[in-house]
Amino acid sequence: MGYEWDFSVVFGNFDLLLLGLVNTLKVTGLALFFGIPLGLVLALMRLYGNKALRWPAGFIIEFLRSTPPIAQLFWFFFALPILLGVEIDPFSASVLTFSLQSSAFFAEVFRGGIQSIDNGQWEAAKAIGMTRNATLQRIILPQAVKRMIPAFLERAIELMKTTTLVSTISYSDLLYQANTIAQSSYRTLEVYTTAAAMYFVVILACSLLVGRLEHRLGRSGEITRG
Amino acid sequence: METNQNTEVLCLEGLKKSFGDLLVLDNIDLRVTKGETIVILGASGSGKSTMLRCVNFMEVPSGGRIILHGEQVGKENQNGSRTYDEKSLSDLRSRVGMVFQHFNLFPHMTVKQNVMEGPRTVLKCDQAECERRAKLYLDKVGLGWKADAWPSELSGGQQQRVAIARALAMEPDIMLFDEATSALDPELVGEVLETMKQLAEEGMTMLIVTHELGFAYTVADRVLFLSKGKILEQGAPEAVLINPKEEATKNFLRGHGSFRLPEPNLD
Repeated sequence: MGYEWDFSVVFGNFDLLLLGLVNTLKVTGLALFFGIPLGLVLALMRLYGNKALRWPAGFIIEFLRSTPPIAQLFWFFFALPILLGVEIDPFSASVLTFSLQSSAFFAEVFRGGIQSIDNGQWEAAKAIGMTRNATLQRIILPQAVKRMIPAFLERAIELMKTTTLVSTISYSDLLYQANTIAQSSYRTLEVYTTAAAMYFVVILACSLLVGRLEHRLGRSGEITRG
Repeated sequence: METNQNTEVLCLEGLKKSFGDLLVLDNIDLRVTKGETIVILGASGSGKSTMLRCVNFMEVPSGGRIILHGEQVGKENQNGSRTYDEKSLSDLRSRVGMVFQHFNLFPHMTVKQNVMEGPRTVLKCDQAECERRAKLYLDKVGLGWKADAWPSELSGGQQQRVAIARALAMEPDIMLFDEATSALDPELVGEVLETMKQLAEEGMTMLIVTHELGFAYTVADRVLFLSKGKILEQGAPEAVLINPKEEATKNFLRGHGSFRLPEPNLD
């Protein structure tokens, strides 16, 4: 094949690609920051709430899991402003969408993790007089979270990949920047290859880091000291 | 019968428990005096574990009264039924220690942290007091030297002794043992029974569900035999274990005695 590789356009615009990567990380990071606690709340509502909490939580989780992320993104960017009467910028719409969307998935991860803890742990804590909240906080969650780490990582990676959808509402994430550069330079192959490599490096680095953390926790047999 | 309020630790009156249509406990009456060691025997399904679990409300009784140190548990409603809020149950459980068949130590905490967890979280003791109790009760079960180990590093017998120390650290009025040695390898049963015997000798009030008849005979002040949710027979170990009156008790003892070893030569 006679294709002549020319990465000069990539080097010349690398700052733009880096900016895109930073924006991708910003959306992903904020979605995790809001999505994980919100997921925990949803999981607890679904597991331990009364009907008035359990059903809405269940509905929200199932709704968010059963609608395409891009439809959610369009709804928050194009439709919600009509309801609210205020403009929502692409960044806010992205963070909002992916915080909610990931919270539904994290809720299920939390639920699975909490339910995987042997009932004997609840009983032992109960038997020394611990309340349900204290048991959750000090006995169940510390053990559950440790078991959830692989699932968390998988969801976080999935999330970062899904955030590429934000380029459709003109938020300048890594993919959007790559699109822009590719279209103006016609160096499609080089630009998209570089963008893919950048995603790969970041995600691989995260995986290795979490793998290490998991190994360390597994070795010591603990995650929190009281 | 006249009972001295000061020495009566626990009183069950007409205790009932059913799961759906299944009546598991049928009108249990029991008075436990301070320092008494009571062993509860019975075939599988006779309700002995359920009875124990009702005492600290791991199972909420369907009827009857549970009186701990003269105080009845729960609040009485207008229609005579009772409600139990989390606070009063937590308070009750902090005064009733329980040891389970499957130890249930907290695997993410060291041995010492396991023992300190109740005093710290429930009784709100300060650090020095938590440390004092951990040391005292781990020493009592002979595991002071394992304070910094993880539960996974201990044998089953050691784990069960830590579970006993964890319950003792609450300084309870009464201890419940629910088949505490049933999950252990035979060679590890002795150390746990020895610890329980020592507690009995020190005057701890105990309700013990077990299949160890030799232990019951040696250590119990009173043996109860449960059958179909009722106390069928009770009395001194000699009376129930050696000269049983009821046919069900005799059958139970026959089943346990089918394979008996002649005195082994251990010299």
